[in-house]
Amino acid sequence: MARFDKIIKGYFFLCAAFSVLITVLIVFSVLFESVRFFNIVPVWDFLFGTQWSPQTAMRADQAGSSGSFGAVPLFMGTVLITFIAMCIAAPVGLFSAIYLSEYAPKKTVNSIKPILEMLAGVPTVVYGYFAVITFSPFLRGVGDFFGLSIASESAMVTGIVMGIMIIPYVMSLSNDAMNAVPQSLKDASTGMGATRSETVRLVVIPAALPGIISAMLLGISRGIGETMIVVMAAGLAAKLTANPFEAVTTVTVQIVTLLVGDQEFDSAKTLAAFALGLTLFFFTLVLNVAALFISRKYREQYD
Amino acid sequence: MIKRTTKIAMKRAKKKKNPFKFKLGSSKKNQVHLARRHARERRFRVFGFSAIAASMIFLLVFFASIIADGYSAFTQAQLRIVVTFDQSLVEKGNYRKILQNSLKQQFPEAKGRKQRFMLYKLVSKGGVNSLRKLVDNNPQIIGETDQVWLPASSLIDMYVKGKTNNEVDESKRKIKDLQIKWLEELQANNSVRSVFNTAFFTNGDSREPEQAGILGSIMGSIFSIVVCMLISMSIGIGAAVYLEEFAPKNKLTDLIEVNINNLAAVPSIIFGLLALAIYLNFFGMPRSSSLVGGFALAMLVLPTIVIASRNALAAVPPSIRFAATALGATKVQVTLHHTIPYALPGILTGTILGVARALGETAPLLMIGMVAFVADVPTGILDPATSLPTQIYLWADSPELGFVEKTSACIIILLLILGIVNGTAAYIRKKFQYDW
Repeated sequence: MARFDKIIKGYFFLCAAFSVLITVLIVFSVLFESVRFFNIVPVWDFLFGTQWSPQTAMRADQAGSSGSFGAVPLFMGTVLITFIAMCIAAPVGLFSAIYLSEYAPKKTVNSIKPILEMLAGVPTVVYGYFAVITFSPFLRGVGDFFGLSIASESAMVTGIVMGIMIIPYVMSLSNDAMNAVPQSLKDASTGMGATRSETVRLVVIPAALPGIISAMLLGISRGIGETMIVVMAAGLAAKLTANPFEAVTTVTVQIVTLLVGDQEFDSAKTLAAFALGLTLFFFTLVLNVAALFISRKYREQYD
Repeated sequence: MIKRTTKIAMKRAKKKKNPFKFKLGSSKKNQVHLARRHARERRFRVFGFSAIAASMIFLLVFFASIIADGYSAFTQAQLRIVVTFDQSLVEKGNYRKILQNSLKQQFPEAKGRKQRFMLYKLVSKGGVNSLRKLVDNNPQIIGETDQVWLPASSLIDMYVKGKTNNEVDESKRKIKDLQIKWLEELQANNSVRSVFNTAFFTNGDSREPEQAGILGSIMGSIFSIVVCMLISMSIGIGAAVYLEEFAPKNKLTDLIEVNINNLAAVPSIIFGLLALAIYLNFFGMPRSSSLVGGFALAMLVLPTIVIASRNALAAVPPSIRFAATALGATKVQVTLHHTIPYALPGILTGTILGVARALGETAPLLMIGMVAFVADVPTGILDPATSLPTQIYLWADSPELGFVEKTSACIIILLLILGIVNGTAAYIRKKFQYDW
């Protein structure tokens, strides 16, 4: 019996340890290929170069055979699209959460919340298709009406659709944070004669701020790592621009275009994808850890 | 901004228009102040409401546009053609020639190569297979002449469904005036009909939109989900039980916990890179197979399952464990015989939500090559396959008009499946969850 117990216990421990193994595998596999890439292209050129054109050379003596791997345009494109997305997701998500936790009657919340959570359950490839087929022509029509020329793969289209995708995450995480604020605080505020909005602005939001900030950080992290929407709706050409109506490309788009269809892993082109993956992993990790840290460290203890 | 609202509030106070149902404060200054506060309150409320309304409207537009684009893919136009099953051609197996001759006979006015070519394009290339099947099932038909319903080509299908733009000049559109004339002739004879598109559910992928189906991608999805679930369930639940029931409070446990929370937020494409580097390059597993797809998805949904299972285990009250321990059960027996069974509904719900996530995931599958054109329906986990989401991605990239409705229809199917899966999770939660 004791032996059986030991085996079972050991199995459970191995399962838990396996999750660490996954992280280790991620880091090693991506790091290993990245190191090979940085042997060909210096780290400095990759992180601060402004020219991205990773074509592979057919012959060694070909002009421009090395390709250029300056990833700044990709970083800027990612930042631009994520910024637009958060401009949509942050206010809409936050106000939805406020409305649901402070204003809407309980019955309404129970019927609205599952519907909004449906938004979170829609696969991102579907969002991407929607962006391409419906939203991009619509936005271009609007642009024509105002005399703006909007590229069909503009950062605006991608950003807005990505923002819609992020809304439910921001909403449900900040809603949780707001619901955790004890009722006594709200009652006290109301008792002092504050209106509901004043209670929300002056009591609930400050008390829930760590949770809200970590919700925003997780939203940003999701936006940076989002792949399908940008692969389908954003551009391929790396252009260094801050104009949201032009087409930009992102880190994830380049990873996909560099790797899909290619089966050889010794050219700088395919290895570059792993270097991009490493950068992506690093930045999202920082954001996730920051979100975790903030919500743990600065959470007010009310009990 | 504040100045303007103050002015409006002052004006209101002056006119003694009280927008609120209760008594305002006594002094004028107080009235102004209160009115401003209430105006702000209302504005705030409107913001909140419009935020919800915006999401709702989007959801509505979203579903409406996808259904409007996709519902037509569930029907398919058929043409009634008088076919002569010429004996010598049947023996040679040249059904294409049989079809072409029959079309020529029905529309003798088609002169020259170009016009005949246009004529042959009325019927789908799959029509040849339909004829072969007809002869195989009913050999007496050889030598006879019969009326046969054959699937129309995508070109005609789109025209019948009114999806082509017929206003533009003939040279700029794919369907030509002559083809429209023939089609109208057929329509006048009641020889065009619209039937349920079974091919969409029984075929694999195809280059011809009218023959493309989702069975291949559904099988690919099923295979990879089964692999994914076998792995992620056995590991995920074990990890959750260890962390919740056995783990001592130390640095290692803390590390594992933080690590799992982190893993849940790692971008899915990173898991694709991992699968590519480890499974395909290092272990040399078959590319594009649902086996590797399942492995990649398993790592992706593992954190979801661990977190959900832990919550379910934590919800089981300690009194259950105490009671079992008091009766002499060992820790493992308590866990296996009491805690896990009570937590099972919650664990299952979490697992099913993991399935839903894995079903919709695309990016990691792109990395391991589950986006190839696969015409055959996969029969095992080692066969090259696609999945429903990657099929959507593939079709969305196809330039043919006929694939637009197929893509939307595939999305409808995927969303339906996800709805059923999520509904099952909700049902289990409601029906079997213990309320302590």
